[in-house]
Amino acid sequence: MSTAAEPARPDLVRPELVCPAGTPAALKSAVEAGADCVYVGFRDETNARNFPGLNFSRKELDEGIAFAHAHGAKVLVAINTFPRAGQPELWHRAVDDAAAMGADALILADIGLVDYAARRHPQARLHLSVQAAASNPEAIRFYAERFGVQRVVLPRVLTVQEIAALNAKIRPVETEVFVFGGLCVMAEGRCALSSYATGQSPNVNGVCSPAAHVRYVEQAGGITSQLGGFTINRFGPGEPAGYPTLCKGRFVADGKASYLFEEPTSLNTLGMLPDLIRAGVTAFKIEGRQRGRAYVAAVVQAFRAGVDAVLAGRPVPDLDLDRITEGGRQTTGAYEKAWR
Amino acid sequence: MRQAGQAAPPFSPVLLLGLALEPVRPSLLQPVFDAMLNLVRRRHPDILERMAAYADAVICIDPTDLPFALLLEPDPAAPRLTVRRDVDPAEVSATVRGPLETLIALAEGRVDGDALFFSRQLVVEGDTEVVVALRNAVDGAGIDLLEDMATALGPFGRPVRAVAGAALGLLSRLRRDAETLRQAVIAPAVQGAEIQSARLTELEAEVKALRRAARPARTARGQTA
Repeated sequence: MSTAAEPARPDLVRPELVCPAGTPAALKSAVEAGADCVYVGFRDETNARNFPGLNFSRKELDEGIAFAHAHGAKVLVAINTFPRAGQPELWHRAVDDAAAMGADALILADIGLVDYAARRHPQARLHLSVQAAASNPEAIRFYAERFGVQRVVLPRVLTVQEIAALNAKIRPVETEVFVFGGLCVMAEGRCALSSYATGQSPNVNGVCSPAAHVRYVEQAGGITSQLGGFTINRFGPGEPAGYPTLCKGRFVADGKASYLFEEPTSLNTLGMLPDLIRAGVTAFKIEGRQRGRAYVAAVVQAFRAGVDAVLAGRPVPDLDLDRITEGGRQTTGAYEKAWR
Repeated sequence: MRQAGQAAPPFSPVLLLGLALEPVRPSLLQPVFDAMLNLVRRRHPDILERMAAYADAVICIDPTDLPFALLLEPDPAAPRLTVRRDVDPAEVSATVRGPLETLIALAEGRVDGDALFFSRQLVVEGDTEVVVALRNAVDGAGIDLLEDMATALGPFGRPVRAVAGAALGLLSRLRRDAETLRQAVIAPAVQGAEIQSARLTELEAEVKALRRAARPARTARGQTA
């Protein structure tokens, strides 16, 4: 990690800060906190955060785009689930509406939908969602050459060195990487764990571990979380809790209860921003469209300060984000692969 | 509403207010909450619009430091917010439980709901989907209770803002005083716990040393001699 003071770096490209918004109020918070771009979704299963009470109606998105543009920010619309076979109409309408509203880019995952958007809206800027799980030069070049995709959101499986090497091979295609928030340990776009327990997945229904299938049972000795009727974790009194997903469940193996897939923790790369900028990353993405305005404001402010500090040659400020992390813990994840 | 077997609410001015409200009949408080619901409904119609899919739900909002709870029925056509001294779990779809100040901060979007849940300051029971929908709907509305009230009062808003500002200052001071009082009350217990903790650490070290001494010697090939 490089956090030492350095002189101002005009040679470095200023990365875009891409921030989440699940509601119009969160969009406003993100823009006011210094977001360059805000990514959002429609209030249906066309996006991978199809949570109850969340997301934008057509009217809200129209107003949101106007607000963002008036403040010099862009709006990227995530239409990043996979259409049900033979029923692509809802997804096609989402692409058409977002393009008509003047979205600055469409974030897509399904190759058929990418093809539809490229043919029907050749002027639209296309970003490849992390859900497409494109992580090698051949796959990325294919999307760029065949459909004109201009940016790819990289899966959270690569080290900083691997990202730098990848960038060198795929230019002028831009890369966007996650810098903060929840982590998926599975190959994104291909994880079916949630389906096994609930019949619904992020890939098609836009929701991992849907809230309708989650129950918390308070008992004297702590809280038990259940998903689809299966007990997946138990937290003692005062023990920090995590999301009720199977990948973050605590299971008994060899008589010992432990996190077999991943512990509840949040990605935080604030200290790695200089390395990621040097690796040639175009955009930094903050996860969390399902989180509240307070989260959006706190994280965007922290990363705005971090990016600006790096470009000004100052050390990255040591900002405490512990209180909003899952399980009260943070990791640099695959960017460092410290477990190797 | 304090429930048997649950963690005690924090010692705060709200808890003291709750004790003072013990003898007050819920029906006397009901007009306050009727007015509050009307105000929110008028100023933030999008909340009920986002909750339209859950019109039949009954959500118990339970401030752990007050002697009553609120039942919210988010039917867009006829929403209700009812004060109740006792709530039968069977009559509600879901319950959100936490200290009053935490619940207000959540409603105003000053804190993140997931973060409160991760840190166990907020308890959710029953139909999680309804609670998530309510949290998202409220967070997205941009509620500011004080500002909403002052705006609704029109020309009287300005003095109300001034009075509320003074009240918040007083509350902040009371919170500090309550914390000082709490620390003074628990100081002997904390001191005793620290002594016991130090003694426990000593004993652990002794047990470790004794175990090490009692361990059988090993041969160079790693087998027990």
